[in-house]
Amino acid sequence: MDPGFYLQLLLNGIVIGCIYALIAMGLSLIFGVLEIVNFAHGEFYMLGAMLAYFLTMNLRLGYAATVLVVTVSAVCLGYVLYEALLVSVQGGGFERSILLTLGLSMVLQNGAVFLFTTTPRMIQTQQSYANVAVGDLRVSLMRVLALALAILAFAALYLILYRTRMGKAMRGVAQSREAALMVGIDPRAVSRLAVAIGIGLSGLAGAALAPVYAVHPLMGASFVFKAFAIIILGGLGNIAGAAIAALGLGVLESVMGGFLPVVMVDALVFSSMIAMLLVRPQGLFGRGVRV
Amino acid sequence: MRSGPTRILLVLLALAALFAIPRLTGNEYLLALGVSFAMFSVLAGGLNLVYGYTGLLSFAQVGFFGIGGYTAALLVTEQGWPLWSAAAAGGALAALVGLVIGYSSLRLSRHAFAIVSLSFALLCMIVARDWVSLTRGAMGIPGLPVPTLALFGREWRLSRPADFYYLLLSFATAAHALMYLVVSSRLGRAMRAIRLNEPLAQSQGIDPLRYKLLALALSALLAGMVGGLFVFYLTIVDPSIFDFYYTETMLIMVILGGPGSFWGVLASSAALAALPDLLRFTTDLRMVLYGAILIAAMLLFPGGVAGWVQRRRLQNWRRPRVNAS
Amino acid sequence: MRTMRLITAAAALAALAYAGLAQSQEGPILIGASIPLTGGVSTFGQHSRWGAELAVSEANAKGGVLGRKIEVDFQDNRCNPAEAVKSVTQMLSEKKYVAIFDGLCSSAALAIMPLVERAGVPFVVANASATSIAERSGVGGNKWTFKVNPTDLSMLDALVGWLDKEGKAGNIAFLGEDSDFGRAGSTGLETALKKRNLKLASVDFFQKGNADFTPVFTKIKARKPALFAIYAVDADFQNAMRQWYSVGGGVPLTGRVLVDQVPKEIMDSGFLDGTTSVQPYDPSVDTPGNKAFVEAFRKLHNVPPILVSFESYEAMKVLIDAIRRAGKADPAAIRDALATTKMPSILGTTIEFDDHNLAHNNAIILTIKGGKVMVVGMSKT
Repeated sequence: MDPGFYLQLLLNGIVIGCIYALIAMGLSLIFGVLEIVNFAHGEFYMLGAMLAYFLTMNLRLGYAATVLVVTVSAVCLGYVLYEALLVSVQGGGFERSILLTLGLSMVLQNGAVFLFTTTPRMIQTQQSYANVAVGDLRVSLMRVLALALAILAFAALYLILYRTRMGKAMRGVAQSREAALMVGIDPRAVSRLAVAIGIGLSGLAGAALAPVYAVHPLMGASFVFKAFAIIILGGLGNIAGAAIAALGLGVLESVMGGFLPVVMVDALVFSSMIAMLLVRPQGLFGRGVRV
Repeated sequence: MRSGPTRILLVLLALAALFAIPRLTGNEYLLALGVSFAMFSVLAGGLNLVYGYTGLLSFAQVGFFGIGGYTAALLVTEQGWPLWSAAAAGGALAALVGLVIGYSSLRLSRHAFAIVSLSFALLCMIVARDWVSLTRGAMGIPGLPVPTLALFGREWRLSRPADFYYLLLSFATAAHALMYLVVSSRLGRAMRAIRLNEPLAQSQGIDPLRYKLLALALSALLAGMVGGLFVFYLTIVDPSIFDFYYTETMLIMVILGGPGSFWGVLASSAALAALPDLLRFTTDLRMVLYGAILIAAMLLFPGGVAGWVQRRRLQNWRRPRVNAS
Repeated sequence: MRTMRLITAAAALAALAYAGLAQSQEGPILIGASIPLTGGVSTFGQHSRWGAELAVSEANAKGGVLGRKIEVDFQDNRCNPAEAVKSVTQMLSEKKYVAIFDGLCSSAALAIMPLVERAGVPFVVANASATSIAERSGVGGNKWTFKVNPTDLSMLDALVGWLDKEGKAGNIAFLGEDSDFGRAGSTGLETALKKRNLKLASVDFFQKGNADFTPVFTKIKARKPALFAIYAVDADFQNAMRQWYSVGGGVPLTGRVLVDQVPKEIMDSGFLDGTTSVQPYDPSVDTPGNKAFVEAFRKLHNVPPILVSFESYEAMKVLIDAIRRAGKADPAAIRDALATTKMPSILGTTIEFDDHNLAHNNAIILTIKGGKVMVVGMSKT
């Protein structure tokens, strides 16, 4: 096989991996700060994508404007979500939070199917079919943009977590809630912000990927289980770990998919997650949270 | 609390009524609902045992259900086994798998166990779809033959819906009797202790792992067996037996009835097995409603209906009574 | 006084009797249908419903059949055999439906077959693709089940025959969805190729709902096949087409490519020129019957009919025709009438059932040239 083949696989893998990372990081942040596994995470991705579709096709907004509007809406939605639902189940045993978010996912997913039917919609703009080519390698323009957005998001998240006080507070709460309380950090404000950012990232992923994939109410479901696997592999609550695990998974999927039957790759993902949990429960990079 | 004898009488009456239904009406639809109720009640009861009593959130029930179904179907069609043994083997295999999963992942945190159980169920579906040489893949195994049961020395062909109704209802009754025995015994008390406060239970000499495994294995055994029987009613087994929809419905039944309440979950499975069809909700709206119930339950009444009833009772009991003196 | 009462009672009885008689004479003829109205394939359920409803309204506009209107009751089965069994059992227990229609998904249809046999009600399958349905029907099997749509096996045989004539059948790569539809595709192609001592160059499956095809496309392209057979529907197909475009294509497509669902930009750009596809139907088939059908459908629903709409439309027409020939709204008589069906299809052929209760309508071979879909051949299945 010529090296071009491997390189193309690698490139595909990096792009997919960054996209996974975008979704997984939000999930990881929410888990790290609140200890809640957000079952409905995929649905916010889906809602972001549907909103992006509406804005682009019905209101004719440009790409940048769409992404901005969707991200801001997602952040506000996260805020509302926290205040309305999550604040009351925090600390009340994690089963409650899983079941609550599961119920939320059922409402959102089936509600969307009921309202919009499962007919897939595709965003069609002039750039939808543009490609970026480097020698023999090709990537579609929309994917490159999604990749760029993902990198921007990583950078922004890094800045927030490590260069702002709020970010430091979030990391502190993730490390130990009681200790954070003792030094005067308000866990409620921090949790609220974490949820807002997490959902915001999910919505951003939706807006970035709406021009790439078909938009339909069930699109979140296929990503969310992989996102769970990623945050387990990276270490529950460890955001950087999640990003690295996501990238690794994307590349692994792509390279293996180049040689093995694709369906085996999916089974491999879940099996390796189970294996990781049994062998090294704190994930590849160790914890954010007690496991 | 109703007194013991009254309760037993009520239960016997209810059972008699249920078993008499095919004699009273030939309405096949009612029988279909009855079969659905019997099946879901066993699944929800098992989940209640694992989550409600022992406090382990598990999504693996549907995996055990499907493993039992596929095993029984394959044993009957490929090896010519009789129905009972095939279903029992299905249950046994499911229980074994449950023990393996449980033993390896129960050492972990409960978060991790919940996620492992979820991936297990997903993996089951992937395997069912892709190990085509074993499971016929997405095509499933259609045309499962009419089973015969050797009972009281006679061979009984299960060709009418009423036959399956009797079969599944009897199985559900036996399964619930077994579960009731467990939860009202020392085993049940130990499980409840583990759920309420595991370290304390441990300090009292209860080994949590053993009881968790017991709950898991028992629920797997029952789910596997009912799966083995159910697929013959459908005459086909295909990967959709692992659908997440079953998990969601089971969860709602347990949460609504009240985790840890034997009768509550039984009642809610009866209600939820019959009601949606009678109300003719489209399935999407029904799932939205279930989701909303789940959210409301988590926010407002985590104990389900049974828990609410219990609280009301306690409130009444605590109410100050005016002394007529 | 008493006479008055007697007269009133007699009048009331007479009125009741007349109403009862009138009811049985003029009430609508009821057909029960079980299709996925919700769930992952609800788009297909929607189109199946639209196709069937169009056939029914056309018949009703001509006065119905046997002097009565026809009504179809659609129940949801979520493409799940357990739900199909429940919904059909319920309909059969009400004893007012003269026939059961569709099922749509193969596993649902297979689960319904024993139920209709036990109840003695005919079952007309319009869309399910499993070969085992016809294998288990008719002679030596389920005498109440009739399948109107051709099997994948026979359609792919026609396609492979066509490709072989042009010498292209030897190096076909296959990618299909991991479901009974996709698996039927690969088995069908392999059987058809084996007859000509050929085989598929590679076989791959993807999970339904999978969004990303670039790894598998890269893999397939690297093997340099002559043709690429793709079996995907709905959102997966849309995603696949767009991503195929972005990896640059380079291999002509074949199989059951849904040429009527390719995004317009991709089609117009000529990117898919050279595709050869086989389908039981295409909206562009040039017969008067089809043109009328497409126009009527478009007027009602603003979208052109797809394969599923056509199959349900024709299957419902077959059923209505059988009821008319049976002379009475009796399930057994309708079953017998179905067996002797000789109805013209809007594709220009005649629909008849063989001894496995399977119709052998034409398969349509399509290519894409200059950004347009063209019918290049019709082959008996």
